[in-house]
Amino acid sequence: MLIVQLIFNGLQTGALYALIAAGFSLIFGMTRIFHAAHGATFTIAGYAFFEMYSVAHLGWPIAALTAIAAAAIFGMMLDRWVYAIIQRHEGSFFTVFAASFGVAIVVQNLIAMAFGRGLVTISTPLSKSIELAPGLFVAPMLAIVLVCAVICFALLQYLLTRTNLGIALRALGENPTLIEVYGLTPRKISQFAFLIGSILVVPAAILTATTSGLNPSMSHHVMLISLAATIVGGVGSLRGAALAGMLLGMAENLCLAVIDPQWSEAVTFVILFLFILFRPGGVYGRAIAT
Amino acid sequence: MIAYLQNIAVLFCVNGILALTLNFIMGYAGIYSLAHTIFFGIGAYTAAYLALNVTDSLPISMLAAFSLSAVVSMALALPALRVRGEYFVAASLGLQVIGVTIFAEWKSVTGGLGGMIGIPRPKLFGYVFNDDTAFLILSVVVLLAVLGILSLLVRGSFGRSLMAIRDSESAAQAYGKHVNAVKTLSVAISSGLAAIAGVLYTFYMSFINVEGFTLETSILLMAMVIIGGTGTLLGPVAGAALLMTLPAALTYLPFLPPGELGAIQQIVYGAAMVLLMIFRPGGLVGGRSKEKSA
Repeated sequence: MLIVQLIFNGLQTGALYALIAAGFSLIFGMTRIFHAAHGATFTIAGYAFFEMYSVAHLGWPIAALTAIAAAAIFGMMLDRWVYAIIQRHEGSFFTVFAASFGVAIVVQNLIAMAFGRGLVTISTPLSKSIELAPGLFVAPMLAIVLVCAVICFALLQYLLTRTNLGIALRALGENPTLIEVYGLTPRKISQFAFLIGSILVVPAAILTATTSGLNPSMSHHVMLISLAATIVGGVGSLRGAALAGMLLGMAENLCLAVIDPQWSEAVTFVILFLFILFRPGGVYGRAIAT
Repeated sequence: MIAYLQNIAVLFCVNGILALTLNFIMGYAGIYSLAHTIFFGIGAYTAAYLALNVTDSLPISMLAAFSLSAVVSMALALPALRVRGEYFVAASLGLQVIGVTIFAEWKSVTGGLGGMIGIPRPKLFGYVFNDDTAFLILSVVVLLAVLGILSLLVRGSFGRSLMAIRDSESAAQAYGKHVNAVKTLSVAISSGLAAIAGVLYTFYMSFINVEGFTLETSILLMAMVIIGGTGTLLGPVAGAALLMTLPAALTYLPFLPPGELGAIQQIVYGAAMVLLMIFRPGGLVGGRSKEKSA
C-alpha cells in the first residue's frame, strides 16, 4: 500500500513541479534569460492570492485574478527595467543572473517584513484527505492539480505551435538576430515571454498555498526546482519540462520507500547533477556545445 | 566595544578569504560556482571533527581540511570541464543543496542539525590561541597569506592561462594550454583555501552547525565578489568589508525597527547587486564593463 500512496503523492508533487517549471522553462528557453527571480514571481502570486482570499475574503476568482495581475506586472517590469537595460550594454549571462538573484533577495525580504516569516496556508475542504482504500489517503486537491497541469500544458502547446506569437517565441529561442530580419522585435517578443511565463506560475503558487503552504524563503526552492526540471527536460522544450517535473516529483516521493525522508530533496539534485554530467542536453534537448 | 570590533575583524578575515578564493575561480577562470560554501563547510567540519576526536593542532587541521576539500572539489571540477554558463551554475546549485543535506543529516560525523559544540581553540607548536587578540592576528596572517598565494598565482603564467581560458577556451587550447588540468587545479586550489577559512571559523566560533553553510551564504559570498568587482585582486576583500560592516552600520540608524534589521540588510545588498549589474557590471573596484560575455 505504501508504494501506491507514494505514487499518488508523487503524482501530486510531480504535477506541481511541472507547473512550477513551465514558466521558467518558457522564459529561459525562449529568451535565454537566467530568470532566477522566477521564485519571487511565485511567492508574489501566492501571497497576493492569500491576501485577497484568506484575509480580504473576496472569493477565489477575484483572488486568482489579482495573483495573475501581480505576477504579470512583476515579470514584465523586471524584463523591461532590469534585463532589457543590462542586455543593452552587456550580454553576459552571469550579470543578468546576479541582478535577477538580487531582485529575488529583495522580494523575499519585503514579503517577510510584510507577512512574517512563518508558513501561511490556505485551508479549503478540498485539501482534506479521503481514505480511498485502507491505508491510502488522497486529497481531492490531487485531481485539481492534475487537471490544472494538463490544461496549462495543453494551452501552452497550442500557443507555441498554432499561433503566430508562439511561432515568434520559438524563433526567438532559436535565433534572436534572424527574427529581426523578418521584421520582428526581439524585445517585444521577450515581453510576451515574460507575460506568459509569469502568469503560468500562478496556478502552481495557488495550489502550493493550499496543499503545503507558503513561506517567503520558498522562492529559492522554487527557482531550484524550475531550473532542475528545465535542464533535465531539455532547455527550450516545454514537454521536456513537464516530463522532468513529473519525473523529479515521482523520484522524490518514490525514494521514500528506501531512504529516510530528509534525504528526499537531495535526490532531485543528484538527478540534476547526473543529467548535467552525462546528458546536459536533457531528455528532449538539442545537443549543446560544451 | 573592542571585543565587538575584534569579533567583526575575525569574521571579516574569514569572509575575505572566502571571497578571494571564490573570485579566483569566478573572476579569473570564469567558473561561476554557487557551491563555494560547501568547501567552507568541509573545512569547518573537518577541523571540528579532528579537534574533538583526534588533535587540536592547527597545521594538521589546515592540512587535512585543505586536502579533503581539494579532493571533494573534483565533484565541482567535473561539470566545470563538461559544461559552461547556465548549465554549470545549475550543477553547482545542485551540489550546494546536496552538500547541505549531507551536513545536516550525516549525524555521526557532522552532528546533524544541532551541529558540533565545545570545539577547543587550536594549538600551534604548543601555543594555544586562547586569547582573542592572538586569534585575530592569526586570522589576519592567514588572510594575507591567501591573498599572497592568489596574487602570485594570478600574476604568474598560471593566472595568464586561467584568464586565457576564461576569455576563449578554444583559443587557449590552440595555444597549447592544458585547459582541463588548469581548470581542475584552479578549482582544487580555490576550494582547498576556502576550507582553510572554514578551519579558522570553526576554531573561532567553537560551535558550528549547518546554518552557516547554506545557499544563503553562497549567495552572500557571490554578492561580495560581484559588489567588490570580479576579476580584481582587492575587489572581493572590499566587497567583504562592505557587506560585513553594513549590518553593524545599520544598527546605528535609530529609525529602523531592530527586529527587521536582518531583512533590511538583505534588501540593501540585494538592491546593491541589481543596481551594480545595471550601472557598473565590473563592480566597485573593477573597471567599467570589462567583464567578458560567457
